[in-house]
Amino acid sequence: MISMEMAHFPILTAILMSTIVGLLVILCIPDDRPKLVKQVSFIFAAIGLVLALWLYQAYDVQKGGLQFAERYLWVKSLGIYWFNGVDGINLPMILLTAVVLFTGVWTMWDLEVRVKEFFALIYLLVAGVYGVFMSMDLFWIFVWYDVSLFPMYPLIAIWGGTRKEYGAMKLTLYLLAGSAFILPGILYLWASAGGVTFDLFELQRIGFSPFVQKVAFVMLYIGFGILAAVWPFHTWSPVGHVAAPTAVSMIHAGVLMKLGAYGILRLGMTLCPEGLVYWADLMALLATIAIVYGALVGLAQTDLKYVIGYSSVSHMGMVGLGLSTMTVNGINGAVFQMFAHGVMTALFFSSVGYIYDRTHTKMIPDLGGLSRTMPVASSFFIIAAFAGIGVPCMASFWAELMVFVAAVKTYPVRGILAVTGLVVSALFMLRVVQKTFYGERNERWAHIPDVPLFLAAPRIILVGIILFFGMFPKLMLDVIQSAVVPFVGNL
Amino acid sequence: MMKWVLFIPELYYVLFGLVFFILSLSKNASSKRLHGIAMTLAGVGVLVTVFCARQTGMVFFDAYRVDLFSQTFKLLLSLGTFWVISSCNELKGIDERQHPEFYFLISICTLGMMMLVSAVELLTIYVAIELSSYTLFLLVPMRRNADVYAETGIKYFMVGVTASAFMIFGISLIFGMAHTTYVTDILRVLPGVIHEPAAIAGLVLALCGFFFKQALFPFHSWAPDVYQGAANQVTTFIATASKMAAAAMVIRFVGFSGGESEVLVNVLMTLSILSMTFGNLVAIIQKDIKRLLAYSSIAHAGYMLVGILSMSERGFASAIYYALAYLVMNYAVFMVIMKIADDGHNLQIKELAGLHKRSPLLAMTLMMGLFGLAGIPPTVGFTGKFLVFAAALEKGYLALVVIGMVNATISLYYYLIVIKAAYLLEPVRPYPAIRIDAWTRSMSLALVGLSVYLGIFPDKFVALTEAAARSLPY
Repeated sequence: MISMEMAHFPILTAILMSTIVGLLVILCIPDDRPKLVKQVSFIFAAIGLVLALWLYQAYDVQKGGLQFAERYLWVKSLGIYWFNGVDGINLPMILLTAVVLFTGVWTMWDLEVRVKEFFALIYLLVAGVYGVFMSMDLFWIFVWYDVSLFPMYPLIAIWGGTRKEYGAMKLTLYLLAGSAFILPGILYLWASAGGVTFDLFELQRIGFSPFVQKVAFVMLYIGFGILAAVWPFHTWSPVGHVAAPTAVSMIHAGVLMKLGAYGILRLGMTLCPEGLVYWADLMALLATIAIVYGALVGLAQTDLKYVIGYSSVSHMGMVGLGLSTMTVNGINGAVFQMFAHGVMTALFFSSVGYIYDRTHTKMIPDLGGLSRTMPVASSFFIIAAFAGIGVPCMASFWAELMVFVAAVKTYPVRGILAVTGLVVSALFMLRVVQKTFYGERNERWAHIPDVPLFLAAPRIILVGIILFFGMFPKLMLDVIQSAVVPFVGNL
Repeated sequence: MMKWVLFIPELYYVLFGLVFFILSLSKNASSKRLHGIAMTLAGVGVLVTVFCARQTGMVFFDAYRVDLFSQTFKLLLSLGTFWVISSCNELKGIDERQHPEFYFLISICTLGMMMLVSAVELLTIYVAIELSSYTLFLLVPMRRNADVYAETGIKYFMVGVTASAFMIFGISLIFGMAHTTYVTDILRVLPGVIHEPAAIAGLVLALCGFFFKQALFPFHSWAPDVYQGAANQVTTFIATASKMAAAAMVIRFVGFSGGESEVLVNVLMTLSILSMTFGNLVAIIQKDIKRLLAYSSIAHAGYMLVGILSMSERGFASAIYYALAYLVMNYAVFMVIMKIADDGHNLQIKELAGLHKRSPLLAMTLMMGLFGLAGIPPTVGFTGKFLVFAAALEKGYLALVVIGMVNATISLYYYLIVIKAAYLLEPVRPYPAIRIDAWTRSMSLALVGLSVYLGIFPDKFVALTEAAARSLPY
């Protein structure tokens, strides 16, 4: 009974509004009340998380398909709709966004410089991310996509670290160069369908000619691929991560990069299945290169954030590889990997952020033996590293397993190469863990206190999620599968 | 007798001009009072054009057409003029003795542009464009230290009259082909003979006059010097109101071809690509913000042309929308410049350092204006670009749209440099905080609000521009 009534409540718009209202409230707070800004940000992030959790449990897996849909005509003459909905693919992504925003805001509790602007921009960014994930209208997907990108520039350039202005400019220009392909791609599909609708499902029913699909797919693939750090468009990603402040790295690597993969899946693969078939081979090749290349380059890094940056390139390569197999297992694994990697990198960056804030260095040779000085802070990093390697009981284990099983079946050579890449990345992760947290203790850091409980809490939540979905992967895989099975059936 | 009602906006601006003509004879009105009078008159002017927005009809032996298209542009023109005059309370860039003349010329220029958007007879068009051009020829060198900037005035004049010469030659060719100077008759004849070289040459040459006003490549060379050399308020006027009228006329003339000519499309496409690329690339290296905006305006003329060369109703509508968007966001940027450089000097980008502390509101207005120009959602500039590119893709110009979008990315680089200066750089020596009056504060909020509102809720305005495009006589 209750769920019947609640089905009419625009829960998705409410989630989106939790960020926009949060943004407006933050803007109204006077500059000299940074504490209040943090409290308000925290409350709105919590509201978003509660709504997202409710949404996740309320989604009817048996029924599958698009649920909680809201659809209103927005611009009549072009056929733009305010159209939000969730299915098994974007539901985990919305949950991921809520989790990362909540923990990210919490992690930034000790921020002191230009607090109000920081949280306002974070909220703007996350509004864009939510928007992309829940929108089913191509126009809005593009609008939200751009909204989520441009706050990155000030966020990195003002609060960032190493080479922040360079990193910020490079990242912004790369990502917006991506939208220079996405917008023509979207408009091309729209015009080919007669210029009457931007509704994703109406467009899907049209069935574009093979030529249109091939052209549009490659444009969308390049455009979104830049954000997903597809090799060779990945160079902005490590530089940007290194330059960004902790919460921004968390949101960026944890959620924003997923937008790219999500865009390829939701727009490119849904609307241009024949384009996918035509380009899948190239996709698999680039993804394999990214996995191996990311791992090898990561091996040579001495900066903790660069290490994570390159491991992200490698892990996002796995998402790409999974998508390119065009099988249920591969896509399932890819979507699950998006979630698992999101939580994992958020944990990675938040633990490095803590270490960096205290020691003011993130160079591996300068650290060493940290596990004796701050055992709790170190354990977060080590858990994240295990998750990255794909140790059983971690969420990413299942994701990577599924991707590799599918990949070896579909593309044997590339699949095996990718597995080798994983081995290399295990090697470099363990090496980093060994050098940073074990070995000789550096006395310079002996006085630094361990993470207080208040700041450990958000990291514990992330660890909890990794382990929870590692032990009960079915809770998420069933949801994802409900969307992927019909999707693969349509290919 | 009733027909004179259709001419009310123009008559009003004649009156406006006359008031300041008389005031210019007396020489003893204080500049504050003059500003008050001008602002009131311009404000009423906006109301007049709003009330006349729904009029339709023909006057002056069918040489003058009043329809939704012309009335929309008249509204935009009066709005632009009002905004420019509203920020003239510190008209320090211009000698005080010349203030009455300044307002007189601004009002007459607006009158000329209003006649331009309604004129549907070639000679009337020519007279109207000259009326607006000659007033600008006088306004540009009207600045303190005129000897320093005299070159600017001469340059503008020379390029301007050359463009006029091209235009009159083009008009004569059109007349030769169509044997009439009436637009409605031309529209009956010209699409039939559009494949003849003379017709194409006539159209393109006639367009040159407007391309000059729009600062489209290769008629752009005046823009950086004039933007820099003219007083800030005059630059604002040229960059906003004057661009509206030019856009309207390009739409009207391109419509002559009936959408049949591939040659014309190719010519326009080439000009559009060159203009976008040239403007954006050269803007990157500018240090003076008005010069930077001049090059960006060259690029924007190119974007607008993308919509026009689609030659569909939606294409023309998108160009009208783009013109509106350009007015809002460009004025927002110029208003901030006028406020920061309130002594009338030319503002360098590095002088913006620390602006977010000196005046957070102006910094935000500047940022929103620049994001709009860069085409970032959810601003009106994004919606404008979206509509323009959508119209182009309906005709299948995929490559053009990709080039346009790549250009938008390039442009983001130099807009970000300006935003970075305002938000990130610390000034070398501390500049004083900027005190802004209530009017500027409300204008800032209104412009930011309008920019976001039109970006998120474009439905009504898209419908309006489409109705305006439909009211064109083809």
